[in-house]
Amino acid sequence: MNYVDIIATSTALGLIVLAGGAYGVLYAVGMTQSSRSLERASYACYAAQLLLVLAVCLASPLDVPWKLFIAVSGMTYGFIPPATWRLLEKLHHDGVR
Amino acid sequence: MYRSQKLALRYFAAAIALFGVMTAAGLLSAYYYIDASLLYNVFDFHMAKILHINTLVIWLLMGFIGAVYWFLPKELGREVVGIWLAELLFYVFCVAVAIVAVVFIFVQYGRADQFSMWFINQGRKYVEAPRWAAAGIVVVVLTFVYNVTATAWQARKMTGLLGVLILDLVPLSVLYLDAFPQITNMSHDLYWWWWLVHMWVEATWEVLIGCLMAWSLMELMGTSRRIVESWLYIEVMLVLGTGILGLGHHYFWIGTPQYWLTIGGFFSALEPLPLLGMVVHAVYDAGAHHMKTSNRPAFYWVLAEAFGNFIGAGVWGFMMTLPQINMYSHGTQWTVSHGHFAFWGAYGCGVIAIMYLVLQQTRGAAEHFDSRAWKWSFGLLNLGLVGMVGGLLVAGITQAIYERAQGGSTLQAFVVASESHWFHSGMYARLFFGMVFAIGYLVLVYDLLAIGRRAAAAAPARMAPA
Repeated sequence: MNYVDIIATSTALGLIVLAGGAYGVLYAVGMTQSSRSLERASYACYAAQLLLVLAVCLASPLDVPWKLFIAVSGMTYGFIPPATWRLLEKLHHDGVR
Repeated sequence: MYRSQKLALRYFAAAIALFGVMTAAGLLSAYYYIDASLLYNVFDFHMAKILHINTLVIWLLMGFIGAVYWFLPKELGREVVGIWLAELLFYVFCVAVAIVAVVFIFVQYGRADQFSMWFINQGRKYVEAPRWAAAGIVVVVLTFVYNVTATAWQARKMTGLLGVLILDLVPLSVLYLDAFPQITNMSHDLYWWWWLVHMWVEATWEVLIGCLMAWSLMELMGTSRRIVESWLYIEVMLVLGTGILGLGHHYFWIGTPQYWLTIGGFFSALEPLPLLGMVVHAVYDAGAHHMKTSNRPAFYWVLAEAFGNFIGAGVWGFMMTLPQINMYSHGTQWTVSHGHFAFWGAYGCGVIAIMYLVLQQTRGAAEHFDSRAWKWSFGLLNLGLVGMVGGLLVAGITQAIYERAQGGSTLQAFVVASESHWFHSGMYARLFFGMVFAIGYLVLVYDLLAIGRRAAAAAPARMAPA
């Protein structure tokens, strides 16, 4: 790996997680405030995350198994905020009952 | 107030004092990068670093122990069994820490023999405390485990939260025994040493802070026990599922078999996923209560814990955890940047949040527990930390490029990287923001001493009976 690859790949990897975090936060805030625009912004963050995943898969010098792994984990991020939210609502609903 | 809770306050006071020593030693360590001749042959960089890291471990450990001694009698509705022993050992612990610090500062190291190992410096990174002190830590931790389990036994009561805590205390105490072996093969030694360092930080401590945050959320937000316990089980499962074999990312370059590259990279890359769930949970709880709470300092420190953990451990960790990147970043200031951010986010913020929660109750300031100082300390500490982390990241990437990728990890390449203006800029930024952090610490100490006292004086009737 040359130094451009190191910086580009590690930055992209960090941004993938950061975009996932932004997706989760905006999704949760959007749901809390019943804001469609925040929810849409959260999906935009997730789309950005998927683009970063695509960029890493196509352009980085990582080995193929790691690229596959990143692609799968990128897709997994998509489910976490909605699934966590549903679980929390269920827990709170049951807890209140 | 239970005697156990009074003991908790003493533990918190000791923890905050050690937090100060850690900060001072950290500033000193940062300054050596600007002026390497500082205190040359009097108190060198490695001793400042030892003091910095060992006090980090001890202040957090004292914070955790104090928090458990605070919550335990409330959980079980009775005094902690063997509290006299815990009180005695608290003083023994403090005296031992002071003696070790004095030895580290004035004696530093001795000849490579058994005497040095037992009485001066054990020489193993992060667990440098001489063997007598390490044995003392074992006694303190075992007493702590006895206090918790015997109290639950005597109370004939077991909650889900307490069950998780007790189960966690077993590996927490057993793993510390890894501080003792004398293995001459360095690969073997590091292999087992990482069991202690990683399994404490990324497994048993994660579960411990999870239990403490669960108790805190119940008191801070009034969240029901069923909710926090259900969530705790899920978090523990996910954190341990990814964290235990995430150990492998420490095995990349220490002479272990190559399959650790795959195992370590895979599991540590999964580690951000449960952290994302925690962030969503934090936002959910904050939103469910419309950001309203009677204890804003604790609330904001809990939020900082969730976000700091995610960014420090998750984002910073994933930047450098895959083997192909880690080959260049491992052991550089890049790692230091990740370590600072993750420790602060995962543990430092959590312990401070619990301190504010406890102070609100001890000072009887049920409704007006607020101040300007806590906002300043919150801002300065977090700004200082983020600035330090940024400076270290710049310096670390410089090392990864000049020393590793271009220079091939030679001594000459190390010198070239160390003389790069990027490296120097990063280190100056780290020192500057370290000072910002130190000011934030001083404001925090002031606030911890002052907050809530005026409200308590104004409303003595609200004080709960002792």
